[in-house]
Amino acid sequence: MFVCGTTLGYAGELRVVVKDHRGKHVADAVVLATPLDPKSALRAKTPLDAVDQVDKQFVPYVKPVFVGSKIRFPNSDHIRHQVYSFSPAKKFELPLYGGTDAPPVVFDKPGVVVLGCNIHDWMVGYIYVSETPFFAKTEIAGRASIEGLPPGEYHVRLWHPSMEHGEETTVRRVTVTAERPTTLEWELSLKPSLRVPRVSGAPSPGYP
Amino acid sequence: MPVVRPHVQRDALAGRASERGHASAATLGAFAAFLALGATSFAVHADWTPAIEAGVRHDSNVGNAQPTPDIVSDTVVGARVSMFQLFPLGAGYSMTVGGDLSGESFHRLEGLNNASLQAVFALKKKWGLGAFTPWARIGASAGRVDYRDGDRNAWVYRATLASGRRIDARWNLWADYAYERRAANAQEELVPGLSGDAFSQKSHTLGANLEYAMNAGILLTLRLLGRHGDVVSTTEPSANIYYASRALAEDPAFGPEDYAYRLVGTSYGFRVGVGYSPTPHTLLGCGFERLDTYAQGGNRYGKSIPEITWDYVF
Repeated sequence: MFVCGTTLGYAGELRVVVKDHRGKHVADAVVLATPLDPKSALRAKTPLDAVDQVDKQFVPYVKPVFVGSKIRFPNSDHIRHQVYSFSPAKKFELPLYGGTDAPPVVFDKPGVVVLGCNIHDWMVGYIYVSETPFFAKTEIAGRASIEGLPPGEYHVRLWHPSMEHGEETTVRRVTVTAERPTTLEWELSLKPSLRVPRVSGAPSPGYP
Repeated sequence: MPVVRPHVQRDALAGRASERGHASAATLGAFAAFLALGATSFAVHADWTPAIEAGVRHDSNVGNAQPTPDIVSDTVVGARVSMFQLFPLGAGYSMTVGGDLSGESFHRLEGLNNASLQAVFALKKKWGLGAFTPWARIGASAGRVDYRDGDRNAWVYRATLASGRRIDARWNLWADYAYERRAANAQEELVPGLSGDAFSQKSHTLGANLEYAMNAGILLTLRLLGRHGDVVSTTEPSANIYYASRALAEDPAFGPEDYAYRLVGTSYGFRVGVGYSPTPHTLLGCGFERLDTYAQGGNRYGKSIPEITWDYVF
């Protein structure tokens, strides 16, 4: 959940439940609420946040951040990682490092940033750089909540790493009021999740 | 036909060889255990990556024999522990240094039970960042393998070259070449003028590999290979093979009447496999390998090797 940009004492709440076409709850879906009145988001902050590396995986797998945010990439593993992205929204590379001293990276352009490690090919993570400060990510139960929303009209949409169709196909116009939470439910079509295998089944060409 | 020593003498020699094998294996095992313990403690604090694999396979023709009566099949249980460390060198280059310890236990042919220890060095180049860039790797390894039947004990040297590219998360392709030299303990000449060094071998192997991920948990694999070089066939005495052989030695691991002939041959084969990952660290595999060899002296033989494997990477 991300809370900022509230300009009024009376704030609304948006509650979202995301399921796939089989009715299974969908985790790691990013919910974005864009106010039709851009003044509602004028006081948005850009906090320092982090994406960790634990057991040779990015944690969290999906990280939504507000545009302009600084993200640290601490390495909690006992081995070194070489984090990179060549996504149009942010191209960067952190030379092989261990520990927590890698310099933060500023994500100053909206879009999806795919993270990888040049040493461990199976490592993949996503940073969703949002142009709106009102966003949240669904947990395992497929639920997310955005609190502190100024009452008004919003375009609400979803993004997920495995979504079959573009996020623009999920846009809904929603009215948020201060009186009671606004609840939405989505059914999202997901492609089968496929990542580079961590353990190879073929006779190995050797060490990495 | 070969002139052989009396069995009593041979068996006595084999016995001593076996004792030598036990002693060497014990020394090797102790050294390996020491190394593994040391490496494990390093792994906690440094950039070492360990991996474990184990498997059971059935070899339909362990002795590479052609005549049906000489074909001996056996089931083998094996395990390997490896440890390596990566050193980045810049400009897409990285160096890997590591080693592994492995062992095999044969159900019937206990003389072939073995333990081995090898050190590996490799230099890898990736052209670009990411999982889908082409790569090439040149490597070298040196190791020692000790058998219960010490006649086969050998130093094994290998030079490898591999290159490939992961096309996407589903498809992975690579090719590899290996030159292997196995320097075994030289045996006495059974026949004057014919070397007794039957277990030393040199070979060239070329392989093409394809890996396909059906979904997040299931992998299909295919390997095609060709190999040219020395092969060791263990059979009863045969005139054709004898005259074509480059070396001849007794092979007590198979029996008192069996002899190992070193020949030059070419093998063609394939391996298909399917793997299932119940966790990101683990792969349970099931494979089938088929090899057909055309060796000198009209010695043509084939073997089939079904296997079940378990791999764990940390």
